[in-house]
Amino acid sequence: MPEESALSVSGVSRSFGGVYAVRDVSLSVADGEVCAVIGPNGAGKSTLFNLITGHLAAEHGQITFHGHRVDRLAPHRRARLGMSIVFQAARVFGGMTVRENVMVGSHGRTRAGFVSAALRLPRHRRDEREIAAEADVALERVGLAEWADRPADRLPIGQQRALQLARALCARPRLLLLDEPASGLRGEERERLASLVEELRAGGLTILLIEHDVAFVTRLADRIVVLDLGQVIADGPPAEVRADPLVLAAYLGQAS
Amino acid sequence: MTRFVRPAALLLVAAVTLVLPATLDDSALAVYILLGLAAIVTAGVSLLMGYAGQVSLGQGAFYAIGAYTAALLSLGGVPPLVGLLAAPVAAAVFALVIGTPLLRLRGHHLAFATLAMQLILLSLAGQLEFTGGDIGLQAIPQFSLGSFEASGAAAYAYMTWAGLAVVMLITHNVISSRPGRALRALATSETAAASSGIPVGRYKLVVFALSATFAGLAGGIYCFYTGYVAPGSFPVLISIQYIVMAVVGGLGTIWGAVVGATAITLLVQGLDRLASLPGMPTYAPSVLSYAVYALVLIVVVLFMPRGLVPALSRRPDRRPRR
Ligand SMILES: Nc1ncnc2c1ncn2[C@@H]1O[C@H](COP(=O)(O)OP(=O)(O)OP(=O)(O)O)[C@@H](O)[C@H]1O
Ligand SMILES: [Mg+2]
Repeated sequence: MPEESALSVSGVSRSFGGVYAVRDVSLSVADGEVCAVIGPNGAGKSTLFNLITGHLAAEHGQITFHGHRVDRLAPHRRARLGMSIVFQAARVFGGMTVRENVMVGSHGRTRAGFVSAALRLPRHRRDEREIAAEADVALERVGLAEWADRPADRLPIGQQRALQLARALCARPRLLLLDEPASGLRGEERERLASLVEELRAGGLTILLIEHDVAFVTRLADRIVVLDLGQVIADGPPAEVRADPLVLAAYLGQAS
Repeated sequence: MTRFVRPAALLLVAAVTLVLPATLDDSALAVYILLGLAAIVTAGVSLLMGYAGQVSLGQGAFYAIGAYTAALLSLGGVPPLVGLLAAPVAAAVFALVIGTPLLRLRGHHLAFATLAMQLILLSLAGQLEFTGGDIGLQAIPQFSLGSFEASGAAAYAYMTWAGLAVVMLITHNVISSRPGRALRALATSETAAASSGIPVGRYKLVVFALSATFAGLAGGIYCFYTGYVAPGSFPVLISIQYIVMAVVGGLGTIWGAVVGATAITLLVQGLDRLASLPGMPTYAPSVLSYAVYALVLIVVVLFMPRGLVPALSRRPDRRPRR
């Protein structure tokens, strides 16, 4: 495992109405690592992702991303540093084609503003062509190439998830956060997602992944972090974590 | 097919726009000019509401700022062209300054705050000395450029519709590009937009300023055309009217502003004739226009929620842009 840490979360907490959703959580993700976050419903997994990406403010603790303190930065600033998130609920942009949706992903690393757009400067045209081509590559990767010109909000839910993934990839992220990307996907879609994640990992991308399906996680993750009631109850290689009595208890407790 | 229909339709519209001023009498020309000016302001409202999801009930204030700016500069001896160009700039600067605190508000809070802004500006203009108080500013010089002087109404009609064409072109170019995609994205989800690296607050502020720029330009042309400006020229009703026009035409459609402005202007003209028939009370015109705005808004929202343009240009496979 590479040494340098891409993301380091230390002592982060967040409560809602006096109840902690995330409590004193610390974890660190190495560059190029695929780390899974699992835990029962309501354990605080999505909240943790929102704290990392800045959509929620942490009450305590600090977050460092490739050496930058990011816990006080707005979400779009963190995105520009290279964090991309695919949300649990589909958030596809309406009134746009599938390709345009993916092109939005490149926003943080492109520059054309209102003036060069209004005047249609040559540089703007060149940028647009490049972004569109890159969006098409991302669509190809997630298997949506033939949907490129369709209105995005007409896609079935499974494809909307894939679309978000393409959008995240079009940002050329350094850290990809996936919140339950496989939920609602059928067998072959799930398989396609798994092999895409493997491909991205082989390309050296750091990935933080929330997932309920333990088999899916065991196959993809280098490491698993288990959250329960907002706290980390286990952190280690998949085989070790799966045998952990605390983890078993948390999951059995939920099942009963 | 559509590749030939669109340019042909554009040419036809351009031809009609160019020929109309030559054939209309002065009272019809006045309607034609006011319609064009309203369409310019409405294009901004449509951009703001349709793409940035913001409602402004104070667009009349930016219109007034443009008109007063151009009027004050021209009366001060500045060349009219400079005054005309300063009008949208002043409105934009004002929008940037006031938008910074205002845009923290959402939905109807923002609508009321912008309405309050217009009321405050109007009462200031009615009391301050340099704006001429309630009487306003009079004897504004004709618009001129070098040796050309715009003396007849037809010249202002061309100016107005050229301005509208520029505004529509800018809107089209912005919407179909990177900043436009960002706007359409944040209209759907500010969270998802921010996580794509879009500075949501700054973008809302810029669209607010852009919509004010359009209104300011219209105000500038208006002051040269009428030759005077007064607080009474910018009632709150005018801001409501722009919203009705934008909604009727279809929010966030490029042509919606023109179609909406035309439909409402013609309707109001017809009603004015009706209300000024002998035997009608003096308050009939304003009561009728309020009633009609309300009625039209309700009917459109109920039966054509996307507005006239999308309803008329229904294409089965391609859903029109919001
Ligand atoms: N915005 C919010 N306001 C109030 N409570 C919240 C908010 N967001 C999350 N919570 C609460 O925080 C706790 C953790 O929620 P979170 O969504 O992070 O869980 P999760 O682990 O992602 O669950 P799931 O597996 O169902 O997605 C829950 O009890 C939830 O009700
Ligand atoms: Mg969740």
